[in-house]
Amino acid sequence: MSHQGVPLWAADADLDDDVELNLVIGNYGQNNFEDAPIQHPHLDEAAMIAIQQHMAQQAAFSQIPDVVKAFIVRFYQAVLENNLDEITVAYESGWNKYTEKFYARTEWPEAEIIAPLVNDDPIFLILYRELYYRHVYSRLQPNIDDRFHSYENSCELFNYLLNSDGPVKLELPEQWLWDIIDEFIYQYQVFCSWRSKVKNKTEDELVMLGEGGPVWSSYSVLNVLYSLMQKSKINEYIVAQREGKSPEEIAEIVGEYGQRPLYRMLGYFSIIGLLRVHVLLGDFTLALKVMENVELNQKSPFSRVTACHVTAYYYVGFCYIMLKRYPDAIRTFVTILNFIMRMRQYHTRSYQYDQISKTADRMYALFALCNALSPTRLDDNIANIAKERFSEQYAKISRGGQEALSAFEELFIYACPKFITANPPPYDDPSTISIVVNSASSADAPSGLDATQRHLALFLADVAAQLPVPTLRSFLKLYTSLDAKKLANFLDVDEEEMVQEMMAMKQASKSLSRVPGMENTGLLDGRWTTTSDLNFVIDENMVHIAESTVGRRYAGWFIKNTERAQKIFDDLKHMPLPGPPASLANTASQSSGGANPRAAASAIAASVSAPGGSVRETTDAQGQGQKTSAAPRKVAWGGVRA
Amino acid sequence: MDSTATSWITPPARPELIENLVSGVDRYNPNNVSILEDYLYHQIRNEEYDCLANLAILKLYQFNPELYNPDVVINILIKALTAAPSPDFNLCVALLDERPINAPLEEPDPLPALLPVLRNLHDHLFRCRFPAFWDIYRSDELEALRDNYTVEVVGFDNAVREVVVRAVKAAFTRISTARLGSYLALSGDDLSGYVAKLGWTIDSVTSVVDVPPNPDNQIEATVVQESIKLPQLAKVISHSALKA
Repeated sequence: MSHQGVPLWAADADLDDDVELNLVIGNYGQNNFEDAPIQHPHLDEAAMIAIQQHMAQQAAFSQIPDVVKAFIVRFYQAVLENNLDEITVAYESGWNKYTEKFYARTEWPEAEIIAPLVNDDPIFLILYRELYYRHVYSRLQPNIDDRFHSYENSCELFNYLLNSDGPVKLELPEQWLWDIIDEFIYQYQVFCSWRSKVKNKTEDELVMLGEGGPVWSSYSVLNVLYSLMQKSKINEYIVAQREGKSPEEIAEIVGEYGQRPLYRMLGYFSIIGLLRVHVLLGDFTLALKVMENVELNQKSPFSRVTACHVTAYYYVGFCYIMLKRYPDAIRTFVTILNFIMRMRQYHTRSYQYDQISKTADRMYALFALCNALSPTRLDDNIANIAKERFSEQYAKISRGGQEALSAFEELFIYACPKFITANPPPYDDPSTISIVVNSASSADAPSGLDATQRHLALFLADVAAQLPVPTLRSFLKLYTSLDAKKLANFLDVDEEEMVQEMMAMKQASKSLSRVPGMENTGLLDGRWTTTSDLNFVIDENMVHIAESTVGRRYAGWFIKNTERAQKIFDDLKHMPLPGPPASLANTASQSSGGANPRAAASAIAASVSAPGGSVRETTDAQGQGQKTSAAPRKVAWGGVRA
Repeated sequence: MDSTATSWITPPARPELIENLVSGVDRYNPNNVSILEDYLYHQIRNEEYDCLANLAILKLYQFNPELYNPDVVINILIKALTAAPSPDFNLCVALLDERPINAPLEEPDPLPALLPVLRNLHDHLFRCRFPAFWDIYRSDELEALRDNYTVEVVGFDNAVREVVVRAVKAAFTRISTARLGSYLALSGDDLSGYVAKLGWTIDSVTSVVDVPPNPDNQIEATVVQESIKLPQLAKVISHSALKA
């Protein structure tokens, strides 16, 4: 397997437009890279070993089922011809199908073994290894060689994309592009948490970690993501789009890389990737800052890749929690949970569905947290689901006290991201690491949990400050004015202490929040708004209370039902009249019956995803459907107008 | 306090050089750490505050443990302390990774001992336990913190008082001088001077302070009615338009 001293994309300096890239991120922390310890055989033995290897490979090659060989060849052809449809089929169904059938519990054949099938094509082999390692990570237990080699392979892939002579011609499905970025960060995260557990490492592993250099270092991961963003000029692209620039102007702005869908999508996915990396490292402001230009809504063409869309909302929502901006967090989760609910009916069979619904469950838990800290009536439906799913914790929270705190802790631990520590234990220093290993075996807590515990403690400190609020609230709700001393008596607490708690409560009832009109400002921006329906003020020793109530809401119901009625009316108009001869009616109802649900489904899909282009498609589909159904008969309602 | 977060994201006094560091990828370059550290000491001397710039220092420390300077970290935390109830202090602590035990330092690291103290102080400020805050802060145990650190932070006491004022302004229309004095750790002429500077008035007979009206201490019961926005009706209207 080929590997280079310094990851090529980082070392490259001879391409003009790459100079700035290296300047901006630099090779910080990568200067002391040493060759990854892959054993090179002695020269005199080389020939023997080569022959042995050759024979072993031949044997392995003959083990591969013929259908898999054929699949790989077809996959390779599709990539070679940039045939997106074929690639998508191979990627989304072929690979999974043969994984289930032949490789559910073992690795796919190694890239070297299938190389003869694909003409030793280096690019295809890189892509193949991308899938190979992802399979190892998701189905099997990666060993340290897998961890190092998957890093090298990612480097080769990004190096090829970023430092070839101009933009590469390769085209890949959007879903795959997202999976590449997603998997890259996932492997980085599992490597970091595996690395931070010093116990149970073999001698070899300790040596390799000591000499690992930049393998999966935070700097190298950030370097890839920032480079992809800058190469694709994705931020410039989003801004130009928002300003309504013409396609020609945009093409000019984003340059030769940004014009290609592959780079544009990778650039966008890298923004979401950065959001995630910053959250994993505990930098919640920076995480929201990289999203500065991204407009979070369902209309963006970037929302087509559902997994990416969901990821973005999860991490943004989590950032808001850590910024104590609970109303913003709630709004974020409600939006995406509704989206997931709507798309559920179309996506249940997708191979990512499991992942998405797991994330959704965690967001319900986070919603429950936020809703307890900043009660809202924003979406009763979501609130009810959250309540049902986490009823035990809900009950504890409403009882208050120490039990509530432990319920908050349970929900947080369950739903929080897998935090990591940026730096490895001192593997490069054999004497200290042995001290760490020995001390770690005595201490119970694995050090990988430290980051999570730290964030948990910070979150719980805020929660603890708010624990008296529900009790205070329930008393205040009964009065319009009340003497502070009397209230303290009811609560059986010291008056002065209670007054201080009320100040804290008043403070907690205000939050920075994004308000309408802020769509084009960064996600960090916001306006201070009151979040509680119960307001009070203290006049020396007298507490005055005022409660805001929400009038009944009718609009949503009427709008929904008007739209429904319109749709039923439309459907009725497009239905054939009853009564024509049986044979004709049969074909007609078949074709129209076949066309209508499809049109309806795509209309819903269109309203879920991007409007514009796909809406037009819908009308076309409807038009065609009407034509076929109208053809055999003379009468068809409203068909002409379309 | 400002009604938006804009001046927190970009303080008006932030120099362009710092703005470029905070907003660009140059923030990851360890060679820039001294520029940011100098800017921190500038904030300390001039009663300025720039949370995001200080977080950029902590980010560099996170990635480059060899840059770590405990005095800088402690100063950042002290500055963030008085931003309560905003989450600045927690955001800073979130970036403090566990230090490797063999971290090479010539002198003993004061942070592990001070961090719990600072967190405790922050907790009291955050929970509006102002009298307790002053008791702890002025106790003998915290002499080292005062003599080595907060004494250098110009206007630290007043910055704490501003936290108090923010909380009092929101929750009170009138407050007794005794109570206000215990929150501000002021009494007698100091207190009346401070209150006068705020533009608040003391009733000389009852010695109760009038807190001027502001949006937070003016309460009224309201019924929130929904307001329907045009975009909500877009589908209904466009549908009828299509048929017309």
